[in-house]
Amino acid sequence: MRRTRAAMLTATALAGVLALAGCAKDSGGGTSSNNASGNTGSCVTSQAPAAPAAATSSSSAGAKVDASSLRIGLAYDIGGRGDASFNDAAAAGVDKAKQDMGVKDVSESTASPTEDEAAKEQRLTQLATGGYNPIVAVGFAYAEAVGAVAPKYPNTKFAIVDDDSVTAPNVTPLVFAEEQGSFLAGVAAVYKSKSCHIGFIGGVNTPLIQKFEAGYLAGAKAASSKVQIEDQYLTPAGDNTGFQDPTKGNAKAAAEIAAGADVVYHAAGASGKGVFQAAQAGNALAIGVDSDQYNQQTVAQYKDVIMTSMLKRVDVAVYDYIQAVATNNLTTVPKRFDLKVDGVGYATSGGKIDDIVPVLQGYKQAIISGQITVPTTPAK
Amino acid sequence: MTSWRTKVLPPLLAIVFSLLICSIALLISGSDPLQAYWTMLRQLGQGTTAVDTVNLATVYYLSGLAVAIGFQMNLFNIGVEGQYRFAAVWAAIIGGALHLPPVLHVVVIIIVAVAAGVLYAAIPAVLKVTRGVSEVISTIMLNSIVGGIVAFLINPDQFGVLTGNNLRTQVIDPSGRIPGIPIGDASLFGFVFIAAAIGLAYWFMLNRTRFGFELRASGESTTAAAAGGVNSKRMTLIAMLLSGGVAGMVALPELLGRDYTYAITSTQGYGFTGIAVALLGRNHPGGIALGALLWAFLDKSAVSLEQVHVPKEIATIMQGAIVLSVVVAYEVVRRADLAAAQRRVGRALSGGRPASVAEGGAI
Amino acid sequence: MTEPQPVVELRGITKRFPGVVANSDVNLTVRAGEVHAVCGENGAGKSTLMKILYGMQQPDEGTISVNGEQVRLRNPQDAIKAGIGMVHQHFMLADNFTVRENVVLGAESLHGIGSAARARITALAEQTGLNASQDALMESLGVADRQRVEIIKVLYRGARIVILDEPTAVLVPQEVDALFATVRSMQEQGFTFIFISHKLDEVRAIADTVTVLRRGTTVGTADPKKISSRELAEMMVGSELPSPETRESTVTDRDMLRVNGLRLSAADSGRAILDDISFTVRAGEVLGIAGVEGNGQTELVETIMGMRKASAGRIELVETGGTVHDLTKLGTLARREVGIGYIPEDRTRYGLLLTQPLWANRILGYQTRKPVSRGQLLDIAGARRDTERIVSDYDVRTPGIEVPAAALSGGNQQKLVVGRELSGNPVLLIASHPTRGVDVGAQALIWEQIRIARREGLAVLLISADLDELIGLSDTIRVMLRGRLVSEADPATVTPQELGSAMTGAEAA
Repeated sequence: MRRTRAAMLTATALAGVLALAGCAKDSGGGTSSNNASGNTGSCVTSQAPAAPAAATSSSSAGAKVDASSLRIGLAYDIGGRGDASFNDAAAAGVDKAKQDMGVKDVSESTASPTEDEAAKEQRLTQLATGGYNPIVAVGFAYAEAVGAVAPKYPNTKFAIVDDDSVTAPNVTPLVFAEEQGSFLAGVAAVYKSKSCHIGFIGGVNTPLIQKFEAGYLAGAKAASSKVQIEDQYLTPAGDNTGFQDPTKGNAKAAAEIAAGADVVYHAAGASGKGVFQAAQAGNALAIGVDSDQYNQQTVAQYKDVIMTSMLKRVDVAVYDYIQAVATNNLTTVPKRFDLKVDGVGYATSGGKIDDIVPVLQGYKQAIISGQITVPTTPAK
Repeated sequence: MTSWRTKVLPPLLAIVFSLLICSIALLISGSDPLQAYWTMLRQLGQGTTAVDTVNLATVYYLSGLAVAIGFQMNLFNIGVEGQYRFAAVWAAIIGGALHLPPVLHVVVIIIVAVAAGVLYAAIPAVLKVTRGVSEVISTIMLNSIVGGIVAFLINPDQFGVLTGNNLRTQVIDPSGRIPGIPIGDASLFGFVFIAAAIGLAYWFMLNRTRFGFELRASGESTTAAAAGGVNSKRMTLIAMLLSGGVAGMVALPELLGRDYTYAITSTQGYGFTGIAVALLGRNHPGGIALGALLWAFLDKSAVSLEQVHVPKEIATIMQGAIVLSVVVAYEVVRRADLAAAQRRVGRALSGGRPASVAEGGAI
Repeated sequence: MTEPQPVVELRGITKRFPGVVANSDVNLTVRAGEVHAVCGENGAGKSTLMKILYGMQQPDEGTISVNGEQVRLRNPQDAIKAGIGMVHQHFMLADNFTVRENVVLGAESLHGIGSAARARITALAEQTGLNASQDALMESLGVADRQRVEIIKVLYRGARIVILDEPTAVLVPQEVDALFATVRSMQEQGFTFIFISHKLDEVRAIADTVTVLRRGTTVGTADPKKISSRELAEMMVGSELPSPETRESTVTDRDMLRVNGLRLSAADSGRAILDDISFTVRAGEVLGIAGVEGNGQTELVETIMGMRKASAGRIELVETGGTVHDLTKLGTLARREVGIGYIPEDRTRYGLLLTQPLWANRILGYQTRKPVSRGQLLDIAGARRDTERIVSDYDVRTPGIEVPAAALSGGNQQKLVVGRELSGNPVLLIASHPTRGVDVGAQALIWEQIRIARREGLAVLLISADLDELIGLSDTIRVMLRGRLVSEADPATVTPQELGSAMTGAEAA
């Protein structure tokens, strides 16, 4: 379900999708007591930039591409397929490529939590010697390994998600402007907050998650000069349990809600479930991350508090990359998957933010045009 | 009486037993056990796997030694995990910040690592000796704390450098690296030889020095050691610090031989693996080496097995099964051997009669 | 006059442990409604016998009958089913539970945990004289009440035969009297008690019958009312063994060990375990310490060896040259290094590393000295050579010096320990029960070795429960009672009987 919708989102003009989504959804949003009724919150102090008249372009080409001859190697980070997070998103991209472009041979391999650097190199090397081309490494943890293996196999194409530090010619970085999507999440949070008090839960305090945080803070402050923001991480850098600990997510989110926040945005992977739980218990709203969590099976029981999700389209990036390899034209892969190419964005499922879509579209346009520059590190 | 049977039979039994268990697991999961085992063996001939295995085993070996030193006197140093990470991050930071001539640079980094390991082990050691705090509890807590320390230290505001989305320490100059030995495409860590030397030193310390004797005596019987004049507090302190010092070197093979920097993505868990490896090796330097090699081999197998669509968890099952059955097998064989020795002594002395009260006496 | 039926009958019980035989052909008959004492020195095999009766260990040979029926007790549950309960010397109670919870714990199926259980416990509390409320927390109870709770636990599970394992060891005299009153009243209600003890006066006070164990086997059964403490002591420690010959005195006037005003307080209560102990051992002298076990002998030895820290007093060792070492502040190793040899009372726990080969055991305690050590390094070749020497000089029966110490029999283990402790040229030997649990041959050899060393000027502090050994070896005997040295005896004139009564405090003087 989610993947089909995702495909539609990319393939169609945004305005159209919004209309569709609005029609497709039940009216559940209206029944929840804590839903904004469409009025802009009293919190907002800034005038939103004007919404664009027409939709922006999409990155996907319309023509049917045949990629059946490609043998794709996929090296996942810890968790692998089924982690309901970015590994899964990469898997979704490949699955769609199988469906749309006839890809047949995919080899997938997953990192184990305690493996050393050599194991990552071994994984990539085995894929390369096995004739897989292209090889997609999911996660910046593969940066060293890709940097070491790619030069040894100059005829194999590599892509790495979330890292642009590898400079070899046969390596394509697939990086995202998480801060831009998070900026819009921050704006939405301000518009929906009744107490003018919002919160952020980061999974692990790494530079990558700090980009989410930075964008969110910037967006919130752009919309309101008086908003109060709770800002917490579950674990310090290096302790990846912060992405898999719903209990901790719940505790921290509950604390933020107790402190007065009534909209909480999480960038905490599987720990987000706990954040949703806390929001439901605390009569607050939550913002999901990475995929459209309103439609995610694992958190379906909390969908009534998920007002929107910050979309990070790893699936689109992987799909686009495979398509580009198949057409032998890597220049079509964006340097950075940002708002402009719909590499990041927001979800409208549930209809809870339908009323502020013009506002968000306005900010989005302002970012795309360069009128607003979003920082990548949180302001101190 | 320490016959070859006591030493070789248990691990062999354990491996056979775990192969059986894994075969069952493989059959249940719909894979062909023979194909899986063949893949595991064959990987050693492929690419750099054989050398990678030895490299990884070097790390496990140091970790196993660190744990074994504590085990010798029944100290359960779970804190090797925290000690090595604490040492690694300081060694990487100071090694990256210094610009020294070759050799000296390496020596300084090693000293820093050992000192940091000792320092971090000193906390549970002092708590245990002065306050009687169980080293298990305190080291578990210190393991948890070290994550925060590492994250703090390699934050860009302190000593870290942002590379892509990763955080790492300054890269160590070439003068501070230990050159590897090229074998085919691969490079064998130069630290392998240092680790081997440490293993030898461990053996010597244990079997040839007064300290080693006192260590073993304390481990075997605290009461007999006390009556023999062994100061148990002093032994606890020294054993813990030694263990920490060796633990401090666990990350050095990789740091000085391949990575030259310590990052938030750097591997964790070597300290816990060391516990399993020390158990496998029965705290014997040679046994730990074999255990480390076996463990590393199985780790590498996990990656290779995925290529032939066998669940990589098979390797983990095998590791677990081996440790459990080794512990059981050693105990069984040890008891059988002791009983056999007693029968032998009895036969040799009394012509086949069991000792009676009159000549053997009551307890 | 018909005798009551035997309720417990042990016939020909033999139990071997690796290297030793703990029980050999033990016979015990306990009749219904009696208090049957089982007596013997530590290590005589009482504990093993009771563990067998309570199902904690299986005999290698022999039969157990309960109420005339032969039974197999594979575990304590079997014993409880057969109506046998055991009150352990060390209580097995949870402090943070109430009395009732402690009693019911593990036996919930009998009377549930509700009012039925409460009623049953009330009845039992009355029987045993427990005054504390059954809702009181265990930690608020005194030792005597805790013991009653242990007894209630056993009765609650339906026991009619109760084993009391050294029940008076933890009690003060008044509590002992109260316990005995309880036992007597329950005896009237038909309960049978097996009372483990080595305190002769208590045995005489409470028991209807006494069975004496010695060296793992039954010496005999007697009516304590009809025999004296002296006769009982004789049964326990034995007097039929060949007594060490009296011989010319080698005592010199050179002080070797001087102990002055030594005091040791219990860590928890501050009660004095050793109280104002003063004595001197001279070169060539054997000073024997007599006493019923548990009167502070073990603690005295461990305090002199530095394994316990004296609360007050002074310990000095005078070297042959006249140099005085103050040992009071030194550690065990330093004390050994100035020339103290130590034969511990429990060789397997304090004297040997059981899994290590004999030559490694030679190093223990001597790890800093020649010929087994050179400073920080061990001299393994030297240790092997010297172990070979001990094996041949002390007639240690072993196929070689590579066998683990655990493989040797008790007597041979002890010969190794004695050989080791006499190898370091000691000026003082502390020998704690040096021949306990060893065979007659080993005993003679050990005595002979001690005598030779004494002739060469060794000072010996001998602690023994074997009165013949004490009288035969000692030049002077001091009697220890409740942590004090109470009297002195001349081994040339004293008899075991006189010594026995001095040990129990019965002596008028």
